[in-house]
Amino acid sequence: MTWIDFPLYSIIIVLLWFIGFVFLATSYKKEQLTTVAILAFVAGWGVLLYFVKELWIELQRPPMRTLGETRLWYAVFLPLVGVVTYYRWKYKWFLGYSIGMAGMFLIINYLNPETYSKTLMPALQSPWFIPHVLVYLFSYAVLAASSIVALKAMWDMYKGTFSMNALRLADNLVYIGFAFLTLGLLFGALWAKEAWGHYWTWDPKEVWAFLTWMGYLIYIHYRYFHPHKSKQAIRILALAFVVLIICWFGVNYLPVANTSVHTYTQ
Amino acid sequence: MINAVRDTKITRKKLLNMNTLPHNKKALWETPWGYSESFIIGLGLIFTGFLMELMIPTHNALILKFPYNLYAVLGYVAILFIAFKWCSNLQLVRWMTKVPASISSIVLVTVMVMLMGTFPQVPSENKWITALGLNHITTHWSFILILMLFLSCLGLVTIKRVLQFKWKNTGFILNHLGLFLALVAGMVGTGDLQRLTLDTYEGKPSLIAYDIDGKQVELPFAVYLKDFKMEEYLPKLALVDNEEGKIVHNNGKNLYLIEEGITYPFETYEIEVLTFLSSSGRVANGYQFVNEAGSPPSAQIKVTNKQTKEEITGWICSGSFRHPYEALKINDELSVVMTIPEAKKFASDISLLNPDGSREEAVLEVNKPLAYQGYKLYQLSYDDRMGKWSNLSVIELVRDPWLPVIYIGIFMMIIGAVYMFWTGSKINKEEAL
Repeated sequence: MTWIDFPLYSIIIVLLWFIGFVFLATSYKKEQLTTVAILAFVAGWGVLLYFVKELWIELQRPPMRTLGETRLWYAVFLPLVGVVTYYRWKYKWFLGYSIGMAGMFLIINYLNPETYSKTLMPALQSPWFIPHVLVYLFSYAVLAASSIVALKAMWDMYKGTFSMNALRLADNLVYIGFAFLTLGLLFGALWAKEAWGHYWTWDPKEVWAFLTWMGYLIYIHYRYFHPHKSKQAIRILALAFVVLIICWFGVNYLPVANTSVHTYTQ
Repeated sequence: MINAVRDTKITRKKLLNMNTLPHNKKALWETPWGYSESFIIGLGLIFTGFLMELMIPTHNALILKFPYNLYAVLGYVAILFIAFKWCSNLQLVRWMTKVPASISSIVLVTVMVMLMGTFPQVPSENKWITALGLNHITTHWSFILILMLFLSCLGLVTIKRVLQFKWKNTGFILNHLGLFLALVAGMVGTGDLQRLTLDTYEGKPSLIAYDIDGKQVELPFAVYLKDFKMEEYLPKLALVDNEEGKIVHNNGKNLYLIEEGITYPFETYEIEVLTFLSSSGRVANGYQFVNEAGSPPSAQIKVTNKQTKEEITGWICSGSFRHPYEALKINDELSVVMTIPEAKKFASDISLLNPDGSREEAVLEVNKPLAYQGYKLYQLSYDDRMGKWSNLSVIELVRDPWLPVIYIGIFMMIIGAVYMFWTGSKINKEEAL
């Protein structure tokens, strides 16, 4: 079992997940279909796990070194988090969202076969690499979803159809996303101590990750103490997402970029 | 009677005001202080900080060393505790335990950190940036003052919740106390943080390290470098522009690793690797396997133009500090080159020598530091011009006695984050009830 078999496996997985998707979408009308959807997701996930296990044995090392392998792990963990979150919070769309992201990673791997052997600099070869990137990625995904909710709420306010439920959904997403953002930040600090000798060096990416964290911190505190001032809360949420976007891609374009260890583009 | 009428009018006017203004009508500085007062205080601190920056720019004196930083922390926490316990009727203390102070200080710390994230934190030629201290925010008076306000608010609310402990506040205490510990220990720990670099050479013991300011520091033990080892990735194939000498991007795809017998597509060309030598030397009509320091990898390749079926066979070589590189020109615009192999792994085989004659053997590798006599030793770098033949290995030694406290704070926040994920937003539950 090597990467040569990947197209076959990825097609089976994506197909199973797609079937699950269709059932999940129809389950809004017919509740019983949710079980079928989850079964399809779990089946696809099982196939993926089997592939990873076989690849691991074949490579004689954990397949966590290259970018393609990293993406494989995203595809493994995202559905897991989606299903756990579903059982806790009962958000079907969220389950769909995480499966969709996982599917996207498989498709990226399918389309970019040459990245399998991409070299990885020694400092990145660490057990912290996967959890650090994974929780960040997941947190960004959830926080992005919360901003979509905020945009929708702004639009509803403009139309006069705003309901507090929208903000409650945003709150839950921010809490989930913020918890993961905190983990990403702290895992990064623990890793940095092992790799670079210090847990916090005010690297530009760190600075903006910290700012993102502060942005959502403001939102959480504001919401907590002023639960009825929805307009301001939505504005804060939208602003926090702007900071997140700067942190995610914007840092590379700021004058500070060339002093960062997180800038890997040449 | 007339007076009464006038009074009613005033009251009505007041009521009208209350309806039109977003906040309850309250004169500025009338207690309790709200957002306006909080932001005025915070911005006032920042402004003061900028003035201080213009007048007293250097303040390394603020960095305390053990045991004075420990006294400072204990004193600070004691002041917060006394303030909360016995001075809670003071307006200042009451204000600091309330929401407007917390939110405004979070916002203003964010603003200061945004300055840090925008201006490169390196010496600047711009006189305004230098005069205002925008290129050293972490030691900027404004940042220190606003951070002190932030910390004091955080400390007071933490003390409040800890003293009035309830199980449902577990998450709150973990997150707030964790952050407080990590921040305080991180700040005062700066004085005791030692980051040294030590150059070690193969076959020699080294004892004198240098700190960040370039000052010599004698270590309590010597580091003897037995061997510097490096594993490399295979070199990569790349197309370069003959005129500009830049790598031509293969439709945004990555460069290919060179392996014997493999064929890669490059735009309209197909490149086959006929022979690959990991270590070689130039001979009359090609390369031969040679195993000595500075022997670069080389490969014999066949380039086929898919349109014209033209074939070119030749050698390419990445070159090294000792030998020149060799490219293969395939047309007027393009050449095929071999990139210098990237480091996959590098490590130092060292002995640690103590004055009493005892020694300890160790291998230092990136991401695998070694704890020794209160220091943590890191594989930092090597002579990158020499690459895997480098006989220099740079080791970093870090001593941070406050680290355990920071880790306690970090782990409290990790547990707090998991707790937060699990319980979710409290607002929703209260509204749902």
